[in-house]
Amino acid sequence: MSATLRRLGFLGTVVAVYLFLLAPIAIVVIAAFNAGEYLRFPPEGFSLRWFWKFFASEPFVRAFWFSLKLASFVTVLSTVLGGAAAFYVVRHAGRFRDLLRLFLVAPLQLPAILTGIALLIFFYSVGLGTRGIVGLLIGHTVVSIPYVFLMVGAVLLRFDRTLEEAARSLGASPWTTFRRITLPLIQGGVISGALFAFITSFDQFPISLLLVNVGNTTLPIQLFDYLRFSFDPTAAAASTVSVAMSVAVVWLIHRLVGLEQVTWGGPR
Amino acid sequence: MARAVELARPEPRRPVRSAPPAVLLLLPAGLFLVVFFLVPYVNMVRMSFLTKAQGAAFANVVTLENYLRIFGDTFYWRVIGRTFWLAGLTTVLTLVLGYPLAYAVARASGPRRPLLLMLLLAPLLVGAVVRSYGWMILLGRVGLINQVLRALGRGEAELMYNILGVLIGLVHVYLPFMVLAVAGALEQIPPDVELAARSLGASPWRTFWRVTWPLSLPGVFSGAMLVFVLALSAYVIPILLGGNNVLVMPMLIVQMLLDAFNWPFGSAMAMVLFGLACVVLWAYVKAMNRALRWIPR
Repeated sequence: MSATLRRLGFLGTVVAVYLFLLAPIAIVVIAAFNAGEYLRFPPEGFSLRWFWKFFASEPFVRAFWFSLKLASFVTVLSTVLGGAAAFYVVRHAGRFRDLLRLFLVAPLQLPAILTGIALLIFFYSVGLGTRGIVGLLIGHTVVSIPYVFLMVGAVLLRFDRTLEEAARSLGASPWTTFRRITLPLIQGGVISGALFAFITSFDQFPISLLLVNVGNTTLPIQLFDYLRFSFDPTAAAASTVSVAMSVAVVWLIHRLVGLEQVTWGGPR
Repeated sequence: MARAVELARPEPRRPVRSAPPAVLLLLPAGLFLVVFFLVPYVNMVRMSFLTKAQGAAFANVVTLENYLRIFGDTFYWRVIGRTFWLAGLTTVLTLVLGYPLAYAVARASGPRRPLLLMLLLAPLLVGAVVRSYGWMILLGRVGLINQVLRALGRGEAELMYNILGVLIGLVHVYLPFMVLAVAGALEQIPPDVELAARSLGASPWRTFWRVTWPLSLPGVFSGAMLVFVLALSAYVIPILLGGNNVLVMPMLIVQMLLDAFNWPFGSAMAMVLFGLACVVLWAYVKAMNRALRWIPR
């Protein structure tokens, strides 16, 4: 086998696997903009009718706004909790550092569906039930904290603390030092952690499945319920909205901090 | 360096309010996870030993009945078996398909690198429901692939609502996890090592099997572990792409909790899945450590 042939074979494989990875997502987007009821080949022309149907559908629109609201709360809560914990574990934890790290990322290691079940049983056992947004907010935050913790922890590990000491020795208060020196230097990790928390909540399925209640349905759950009974491209329009969200998050992380941070920058 | 700054600090220091103890940083997240993560799990273990009550989700009567019922019924054994071999097969397939991708990502340079990473991360962040739906459009009875087959006069193929559909969905959804793990390990291998092997006369195949592959094993092992656990607990994909024809444990567990409202039995099934997964992973980690021992570090 000649070198060129081998190279071509490798390239072909890579392209084919990427196609496999991207095809179903591209298909959903194409179906959303396609005029017909079914996706045929060739497509039947461009149309926004499924998007109008999506925006006219009360359950979908309500689920979309609810998901957005929920994801925003989850982002704030998990960024504060996970970020502060990362500070403690990286800078102050002594003997129990490894144990603490294990505990804080545990929600990522255990299947989310089990976490959802455990929370459902727990909420009813303590008489809280799953009414309203609180149950979902708690459930989503539990699985989002590890992402923030890992990403903020990663930047803190590489942080040069002499910069803080310099600011302090020049008379800056601890708060000013944090605001003017520390925060700007770690903001990459904080932002990517927050974005990951956001998308984790916005796309969350297993935990939502167990904790949703009538009147408070998230977009993925609404989509799932819809798909079990109907195939029509309104679902494709809803999916496209969700795909656009994910692409925006990836692009933002790429622009703000670089994707390298996300993939294998985390402390292991 | 830190020492020098310490010494240079102007004396006497301004009176500073004593800093709050650092533990306060940990407390919010720590307490949150203890109350809403640790306690619920412990509670679920307890639940699995209780009894179903008439008209209520459970009664406070301790029993082993739930576990005996699962282990005594071949129906559950078949479902457990299917769940595990589907997860295993998914792991192997993601490795076979993901390795070349990981290699391409790890060795890419310049502007191609962020592009390859982006094309990998974007699908990862798209929810499993949306991705399963994409496959439904492709694989369904009136889906694109069957339209092509019919146009070619090849009739119809059953691509969905069976094991094949579920497997395609599982491999698709968990592939990026494998690629990221393997690429992480491949990154650590300096390209010089491969060049050295080649310059000493090894063929590309020999270089790969004797140098690159062994050095990438840590990534392969951790990726496989991640994909296996994720695939074991997959719920959306088997439901949407398998219809009700491919029964796996997570489906039974959710059914038992939400539809049959039998919390003790549902919890016991969850614990069985969890326990068996731990046994498999324990054996796996032991084997993995043995396999990694001969790699020079």
